[in-house]
Amino acid sequence: MSMKMGRLSKITRQIPDRSTLLDVTKFLIVVAALSWVMARGTQQLGYNWQWYQVPKYIFQFHDGKFSAGPLMLGLFMTFRITAWGLALSMTIGLLTALLRLSDAFFARIIARGYLELIRNTPLLVQIFFLYFVLAPIFGFNRFFAGVIALSLFEGAYLSEIFRAGIVSIHKGQWEASHSLGLSTFDTYRCIILPQAIRRILPPLTSQAISLIKDSALVSTIAIYDLTMEGRAVIAETFLTFEIWFTVALMYLIITISLSIVVNVLENRFRIQT
Amino acid sequence: MTPQGESTVQEKKLGDHIVTAEKINKTFSNGVCALHDFSTQIRRSEVLVIIGPSGSGKSTFLRCLNGLEEIDSGSIVIDGIPLDKNKKNRLEIRKEVGLVFQSFNLFPHKTVLDNITLAPRLVRRKSKETAQKLSMDLLRKVNIHEKANSYPSQLSGGQQQRVAIARALAMHPKIMMFDEATSALDPEMIGEVLDVMKTLAREGMTMIVVTHEMGFAREVSDRVIFMEDGCIVEEGTAEHFFSNPQKERTKLFLSQIL
Repeated sequence: MSMKMGRLSKITRQIPDRSTLLDVTKFLIVVAALSWVMARGTQQLGYNWQWYQVPKYIFQFHDGKFSAGPLMLGLFMTFRITAWGLALSMTIGLLTALLRLSDAFFARIIARGYLELIRNTPLLVQIFFLYFVLAPIFGFNRFFAGVIALSLFEGAYLSEIFRAGIVSIHKGQWEASHSLGLSTFDTYRCIILPQAIRRILPPLTSQAISLIKDSALVSTIAIYDLTMEGRAVIAETFLTFEIWFTVALMYLIITISLSIVVNVLENRFRIQT
Repeated sequence: MTPQGESTVQEKKLGDHIVTAEKINKTFSNGVCALHDFSTQIRRSEVLVIIGPSGSGKSTFLRCLNGLEEIDSGSIVIDGIPLDKNKKNRLEIRKEVGLVFQSFNLFPHKTVLDNITLAPRLVRRKSKETAQKLSMDLLRKVNIHEKANSYPSQLSGGQQQRVAIARALAMHPKIMMFDEATSALDPEMIGEVLDVMKTLAREGMTMIVVTHEMGFAREVSDRVIFMEDGCIVEEGTAEHFFSNPQKERTKLFLSQIL
């Protein structure tokens, strides 16, 4: 079994290095075409670009000391929301997946109900519901409401990824583990999840990136994240395009760094198996 | 071969019954009846070989003894512990019964050494050092200690199966079960696995072996059971089977595989 898998992964690793030149040429053509479209677009727009105004909204320099501008503050808030959101949604996702795979009928029903309810309604409505309906009842603040809404939403998607990963592990692994006397908990912890997580790392990363971008929606309940700060600056300065592009670039920096980290992790795991 | 076989049989008659299976029935959800009123008893230090065509219920019987499959009716008692719905009993039995699979089922993300130390550490609560020492001893016994830090995918099939045997032995089981342990191996690797199994048998391990290796059955078994459709068709010593089988069905089967 595993020998076969080893051979397969060797084959797939050999494929990428055919015709690098062709790929680079294609990439350059696409970049050139895009630049041309952009140039034409801005020309016809007749927009007065003022990029020189942007840096002061990112960093401010007072009395020989740097301080964070509004966009930077917004970025920190986005960091906080996504960090909590990632931790919580992973936990919720894993728990839901385990409930759906459990033997208890009632647990499966609860997990299924949660999944379908959350996955089939818009995130914006869920954020409003949590903040305007539930928050006053239970007395939690807008940050908490935002994080919970995001985590519940992403957790539903993550649970399906976790479930797919868990059921993809060969039945023989369960049997070997059980026959050695390991409990179901230990089997999940030491045998099934370590293997499943390696397999689901790519879709897990996609979902984490979605969470980072979806976190922009919490600006609708006046949490001063990157998007909200961006809107505030635009309202003051009318630098619409400059600020939105800057905000997009800042999101891009977070998501790409995440992708790189995961890539490194993936490579490290692959060497071992 | 023969004198040695007989002398061990005499010794083993002293052993009491370690496994008692009575009228066990097992029907799968797809309607296939795997075991039908199957009863047998196994003594301590006995080597029982089960043969039979595929789908005759051999593997199912092993899997039931270890609680991997639940029986529909009947009773199984192993070393005084009844195998029932009680999870604690099932866990106790699994500690005492080692199972070696046809497809090895090693844990691919763990090194050979970690594969073996895992259960002793988690289930028997041994310290890391004790478990590692025990594992190295077992790896030496199956003659593969130089691969302790390799991953299963770096080993040949025969080496993987020997690791799987060492992994099962690390729990110090009272019974070892082999479910077609050599069927997935290339012919030149079968010998090295059978040698390990023969050594175990000579050391007095209680063994239940599902196999098509008639040479093994002849050399080390105390009793052979021929099964078909979930029932015992014929049982007796290896000598009886190979020189004087009684039933027509047994003769036909043996003529096909020998």
